Amino acid sequence: MSERILEVKDLRVSFDTYAGEVQAVRGVSFYVDKGETLAIVGESGCGKSVTVQTIMKLISMPPGRIKSGSINYCGKDISGYTDKMMETIRGKEMSMIFQDPMTSLNPTMRIGRQIKEGILKHTRINSKEAEEKAINLLRDVGIPDPDKSMIRYPHVFSGGMRQRIMISIALACNPKILFADEPTTALDVTTQSQILELMNELKERLNTAIVLITHDLGVVARMADRVAVMYAGKIVESGTANDIFYSPKHPYTWGLLESLPSIDREKSNRLFMIPGSPINLIDPPAGCSFADRCKYSMYVCKKQEPTETQINGTHSASCWLLDERAPEISFKRGVI
Amino acid sequence: MAEHLLEVINLKKYFKISRNQILKAVDNVSFTIDKGKTLGLVGESGCGKTTVGRAVLKLYDIDDGEVLFKGNNIHKLDKKSYRSITKEMQMIFQDPYSSLNPRKTVSAIVGEGLDIHKLYETKKERTEKIQDLLNKVGLNKEHANRFPHEFSGGQRQRVGIARALSVNPEFIVCDEAISALDVSIQSQIINLLMDLQKELNLTYLFIAHDLSMVKYISDDIAVMYLGSIVEKASSTELFANPLHPYTKALISAIPVPDPDYEKSRVHNIIKGEVASPINSNPGCKFYNRCKYSKPVCNESTPPLKNVGGKHFVSCFNI
Repeated sequence: MSERILEVKDLRVSFDTYAGEVQAVRGVSFYVDKGETLAIVGESGCGKSVTVQTIMKLISMPPGRIKSGSINYCGKDISGYTDKMMETIRGKEMSMIFQDPMTSLNPTMRIGRQIKEGILKHTRINSKEAEEKAINLLRDVGIPDPDKSMIRYPHVFSGGMRQRIMISIALACNPKILFADEPTTALDVTTQSQILELMNELKERLNTAIVLITHDLGVVARMADRVAVMYAGKIVESGTANDIFYSPKHPYTWGLLESLPSIDREKSNRLFMIPGSPINLIDPPAGCSFADRCKYSMYVCKKQEPTETQINGTHSASCWLLDERAPEISFKRGVI
Repeated sequence: MAEHLLEVINLKKYFKISRNQILKAVDNVSFTIDKGKTLGLVGESGCGKTTVGRAVLKLYDIDDGEVLFKGNNIHKLDKKSYRSITKEMQMIFQDPYSSLNPRKTVSAIVGEGLDIHKLYETKKERTEKIQDLLNKVGLNKEHANRFPHEFSGGQRQRVGIARALSVNPEFIVCDEAISALDVSIQSQIINLLMDLQKELNLTYLFIAHDLSMVKYISDDIAVMYLGSIVEKASSTELFANPLHPYTKALISAIPVPDPDYEKSRVHNIIKGEVASPINSNPGCKFYNRCKYSKPVCNESTPPLKNVGGKHFVSCFNI
């Protein structure tokens, strides 16, 4: 078995607001092995970003707080780490790239200095070596003219180029795990294609594990080894990419797959849509959080939360339909 | 042949950046839309698709060309006739968070067009009209007295659609109307737009960068690159038989939600970056990124040629 880098168990994160306690993450468990790509899929507000930001300790606490759960990184529980302790691993062993390359770089600092900052902090090399390393990094991520680019400011670069620079900063210390929070959402499709290619190439070479947050199932299909589908603060289904795409078990996953317009579909038929909108996380319902939008919801769904059912070694889902007493419903694309 | 509802001929919109820098945002764009049809306008950010949408509604003045709506040149009309024609042409904006006035209630937002064009006799009729519109877009009458911040993104976009429909338009420009929304909400809005089109015989200019959604809603698609249309065809034809190297790359760049297919296929990745639209070369705008480029491509702009069956391409290699 390959080496387990990160294991999150029953993580619960809440935010205290004037309106009440917002339960953003409500019991999330997953793991990441060395060199694999895990995609976390879900709509905005489902808690996918909060989950990884909690792991990276980027959530300000208060108003946020970890209610329970453990975050096991290479055998150590880091959920109770202070900022100071976090600094020894953040940026060095785990790093992150963000959605918006326009705002995640410091506009007043030359990019060379921004790349060197992390290298100098985490490794024992002098400024000149760091400079060389930074130039090599820029070359690796495909920035033209890396020597000259070092002294440029972020505003002269396009969105795709800035995202490349972000990637070079994130990879500067050869992290074991890279969190990518919607890395290509702000980019055009052709640029997205370039960036995804770059990420795959770097992953192969450096054997970095990637946790990719996205709502685009096309990106998931291209990148992911394993997929976790999140809805309203919980992982409702997880499995290998093949499990999720070819034999999905949860009605929300069906809905996501079915609402995509496929390239070979004709105009005449309507798109499938999931009716309604997600639940209020201040006062989540007692039963399944998807029950109100689910076509197959039963009496029990509104009363009691479904437990996780293991379908095979890699695939699991939380839905009452998987209970042996439930009626048999199978999903075929275009049938739902 | 049916009369075109909208005809755009050689539209040009230049922005002057400084004394000797001109940004050609839209350079010689022509297209037509027939009544009840949808034209999808796609391209990457900065290619000028939004500028086209705005110029069509005269939200921008243009530098050259004509925009004919039912045979009237929009940009030559006097104030009074322009105002009466705005009733027939409306727009839905990209960002439902900033396109609604946060200090007005939904009924004030939706009713503004009714007030301006005096489309009701009594107060009661106005309220009824607004309720009708809200019902039509899938909201209900309780929503009328709420403010935009009380709605989710999808609901706000519905308010924006109700506002556009309030004056009974024939033609609507949807400028990235779904790109700020979540996937499951996007399909709700697309279905709504298509239902409304059928019911009210609307004509859409659908501007977007997401090709798969555009394919879904459009009858014809025009692909823009740096201010010019590089290819134009019916949506089935464009996807089945893309001819321009840029269109090919664009279609190949769409990730397909099928892991086996996605991991085995070869991605046709275009290298480099979009060239600057400021003081651009006379030649083909895709010249520096195209793998098939020949010397002639850098010298003059390839014309938009008909390759049969209403399929137009602007490329010297075809």
